[in-house]
Amino acid sequence: MSDHSHAPHATAHAHDDGHHDGIAQYIYVFLALCVLTGASFFTYSSYWPFHDQPKIGWAFMMAVSCTKAMLVILFFMHVKYEANWKYVLTVPAAFMSIFLILALVPDVGLRGHWLSEERELYMAEPRDPAKLQHAESEPSHGDNVEHGSKH
Amino acid sequence: MAEATFHAGAHGAAVHAGGEHAQHAPLEYHPGLPLSNGKLIIWLFLSTEIMFFAGLIGTYIVLRFGAPTWPLPREVHLSEPIGAFNTFVLICSSVTVVLGLEAARANKPAAAKLWLLLTFILGSVFLGVKLYEYNAKFSHGIYPWRPHSLVYEKADLNYAAAVRLRLDALDAQLKGEETALKGEEGSAADDVALANLAEKQKVVADLKVQELAAETKAAQDPDITVRHAELEKLADSIMPLPLHHGEEGGLNHEHRWLKLPIRIPGGNMWASTYFLLTGFHAIHVLVGLIVFFMMLFVTLDVTRAGMVENIGLYWHFVDLVWIFLFPLLYLF
Repeated sequence: MSDHSHAPHATAHAHDDGHHDGIAQYIYVFLALCVLTGASFFTYSSYWPFHDQPKIGWAFMMAVSCTKAMLVILFFMHVKYEANWKYVLTVPAAFMSIFLILALVPDVGLRGHWLSEERELYMAEPRDPAKLQHAESEPSHGDNVEHGSKH
Repeated sequence: MAEATFHAGAHGAAVHAGGEHAQHAPLEYHPGLPLSNGKLIIWLFLSTEIMFFAGLIGTYIVLRFGAPTWPLPREVHLSEPIGAFNTFVLICSSVTVVLGLEAARANKPAAAKLWLLLTFILGSVFLGVKLYEYNAKFSHGIYPWRPHSLVYEKADLNYAAAVRLRLDALDAQLKGEETALKGEEGSAADDVALANLAEKQKVVADLKVQELAAETKAAQDPDITVRHAELEKLADSIMPLPLHHGEEGGLNHEHRWLKLPIRIPGGNMWASTYFLLTGFHAIHVLVGLIVFFMMLFVTLDVTRAGMVENIGLYWHFVDLVWIFLFPLLYLF
């Protein structure tokens, strides 16, 4: 790697992007990441009030994940302190990923909306809601409820 | 070439990174980017990795939300607390790797090595937990491929036929074992083995009768709900869908050797996506571990800070992917 040959410059480089507060900042970010992981995990506990509306939990968890991702990218990967080349390398990749997902939605994501007879015949059936409600009423249980039916 | 770029690049960083210090930087033409070649390559690689994992995670999302049904974590033996623990382990390892980088930049090779050793250990813990989790799936017949996978989407005639074929295969296998045992000289041990075999044969014979009755009724009864209920009963007797975490039961649990087909609605698509996503992530963890291991034999002083930074960037990316995989796979 080219890095080895630049011994004297490595320190200079470290000072260049040393605009952060060093170790203390890493510890704060770490604590924030732990708290956010706890927040995601909270949706699994029985104290989470929206078990009957899984979409609220999904949105909450994605918001938490994006926040965690930004913390890691900005501080652990030092992107906050990098020059503008960071946009060239990350933004097009991010756009392509979003377009890829959108491109898959009509054929794959919505495949359950127009079912052929054969497909419906061999397809898995959504589980029996009566059984699930019975399980829900038990105190030890804390999962999301699946509302997967497209019929 | 690399040398020239870096010289110019270091000035460039001063100009770009601190706007308020710009007046101090000499105004000169700089053809390179304000970063070392190694770091540029790692970032280009990470840029492709963003698309790679976005592709995997994106297809998972569209497959999962377009599916008619999706198994609950307890039905596929997925433990949320274990997933949360693994998330915590990876976050810790991200912290140790940045602390290692800071130590290398401060020219403290011993401290840097210690942090990287800790990172290596944490990464190994993550992989160990992952293996334990995989084993929980494999031991219940949940594989992403046949013939190991025992998962069927629903209890229909196709499923009943699979159960019948498995029972026939077991019957033939036990008969073969019996002939082999009887062919040998009689001893006390053989008697015990024969008794065990006879017991197994009885279980299989009873099941064959039950299965045939269920299949016949399911194929012939004019009432579709009766037909359906009959096969559901058969699937439930083999492996009921657990209503709580860790709940085990059914014939497959009582007699581990039976390995009869099981019914988990949405289980096959779940297994395919789960093993693909976590498998590719685990490969990335493994590659990181190999590099960390190799770096344990290098003096990590300030001249190697760039190297530590580059592997650190990769490792943070691996952590980043898990940050999304954990809620998507365990909590959604």
